[in-house]
Amino acid sequence: MGQTVSKQRKIGMPKSLKIVPDKCTGCMQCELACSWVQTGTFAPSKSVIRVNVFDEEASYAPYTCLQCDEAWCMTACPVNAIGTDQNGAKLVSEELCIGCHLCTLACPFGTVFTLPKTDKASKCNLCGGDPACAVACPTSAIVYEESTPAGDWFGPWSEKVNKNYVAANS
Amino acid sequence: MATQHVIIGGGPAATNAMETIRELDQQATITLISDEPAHSRMALPYWLSSQIPAAHTHTADAAFFQQLNVDARIGQRVTAVDPNGQTVTLTDGDKLAFDKLLIATGSSPLDLPVPGNELAGVQNLWSLGHTQQLLDATKDAEQPRVLMIGAGFIGFIMLNAMHKRGWNLSVVERESHVLPRMLNADAAGMVNSWLTSRGIDLHCGAAVESIAEESDGSKVVTLDNGTTLSVDVVIVAIGIKTNLDFLDESGIETNQGILVNEQMQTNLPNIFAAGDVAEGPVLGSDKKEVHPIQPTAVDHGRIAGTNMAGETVAYRGSLSMNILDCCGLQTASFGRWDDTSDDVLTISNPTGLVYRKLIWQEDQVVGALFAGRANDMGMLNDLGMVKGMLQTQARMGAWKEFLQENPFDIRRAYIAAGVPQQLVSSTLLGRPSQPRKYRFGGKVSAVQANQSHTVFVDAKSS
Repeated sequence: MGQTVSKQRKIGMPKSLKIVPDKCTGCMQCELACSWVQTGTFAPSKSVIRVNVFDEEASYAPYTCLQCDEAWCMTACPVNAIGTDQNGAKLVSEELCIGCHLCTLACPFGTVFTLPKTDKASKCNLCGGDPACAVACPTSAIVYEESTPAGDWFGPWSEKVNKNYVAANS
Repeated sequence: MATQHVIIGGGPAATNAMETIRELDQQATITLISDEPAHSRMALPYWLSSQIPAAHTHTADAAFFQQLNVDARIGQRVTAVDPNGQTVTLTDGDKLAFDKLLIATGSSPLDLPVPGNELAGVQNLWSLGHTQQLLDATKDAEQPRVLMIGAGFIGFIMLNAMHKRGWNLSVVERESHVLPRMLNADAAGMVNSWLTSRGIDLHCGAAVESIAEESDGSKVVTLDNGTTLSVDVVIVAIGIKTNLDFLDESGIETNQGILVNEQMQTNLPNIFAAGDVAEGPVLGSDKKEVHPIQPTAVDHGRIAGTNMAGETVAYRGSLSMNILDCCGLQTASFGRWDDTSDDVLTISNPTGLVYRKLIWQEDQVVGALFAGRANDMGMLNDLGMVKGMLQTQARMGAWKEFLQENPFDIRRAYIAAGVPQQLVSSTLLGRPSQPRKYRFGGKVSAVQANQSHTVFVDAKSS
């Protein structure tokens, strides 16, 4: 909590999921694709990407784990069940996860989920380097690419949601 | 010359410090002293419920210590610290010199001062040893009758594990409701009725007067309201205290715990403290507090390890947080959840099993309390975002009013107030976290690109 990460890893940076909120139509294809690849079912409730639906402003945006540098989920895990792979994805080992929910609590983005059937943690693992959500998105609102830094789309998106709301309610 | 690091303790604070020091300094000598194998207390209930083997609770084993070139003295305790001579004395009489010392000795359960507390079958449930003791005591019983004295956070994690095994459970709590250190009366009321509906026999507002043994080995527990309960095992879970006794006359400043600055350093510059035993900085407050929870222990260990290895890194402070599954009812609390301020947002629906409370200070969320069904996914993910608001101390501005009117639309307020943007650029140590290297059974997570993709026609190309 608190130190600023210096600009780093420009070369050979892992790719990350970049969201372009303006392009999202709220079609939820990403949720279907995600749940299919992650759990073998077409069940948005099991998807680890969630579309934010802000109907009043006709504004939608998918939202999932950024594979952030701090990885609160990974450091909080009491049994070291969360590791990383070559894509920089933080992975939950289902074999090691004991279902204590500490990662869900520790992640300040709210992007670590629990699978009700197993009570184990479930989060975006970038599908091993070929994220289904990005493939399924018909409008390129989700792209998997090198971007510096990860999550640089958050700021403009936040501002827009804020501005729209204030404008609509003033 | 190589720096000599000595770490006292084998919990998450100690092992995280150990791994951090080794990451930063390959030459240093590291000795770790722990009376029990290095393990994580958070995992004990899952061993008790027989979901995992005992070894799965461990966070290092002999091979791992060797791989890290750490001299692990398991089964030893430190009896004295000499800050002037820079040595520690072990129970086996060995004396170790240190350049940098980390005290991560954790805490111990309190004893119950009533007649009969020494009987066999009356025990604490805190350590690896206690868990083994309970498993041994109950191994022949089909449905052991267990009474828990004290309805606190740790006790209840263990209670949940025993409930999973279908044991016959009762609880005695001195305060008027369960979880007095984690929930207010409203949320606890929901937990009380939920637990009762799950067949757990609750006795709140009552204290234990005595414990006696019958000829068949049953324990008869008498309460101050006259009730008597007959059980097989009595678990004493009335609270914990920091393990400081061996520091008497060491000159290390203590209060509830060992007082540390933002580098986890005690008043003696070469001596650090971390985890349950440390009384350290609190996020958004000038006070120092003991936060005996896993995430704080990890933060402390990593900060202490970094500073011990010669880098300088400051801790912004820990955030008190607890999450607890009460036999299918999930409860969570953050920060100043017990603040009596009336600047709050409260949603309480006991029949629908929904409870939410946000405590405000001006336009910042400074505390939160949640309860809901364990499968309430919406709540679990909102929890994380509320943690984000507390952690960034975000100013919610006009979004405070929005949340008051739309308490279930946390997501929008969270995004609009720019919380995620603040979070992406912050890390504990000023660099990306590395995964800890120890894995139980050497199991490593891996994901292969899933062939299920082939069923998709790339929507963009059509």
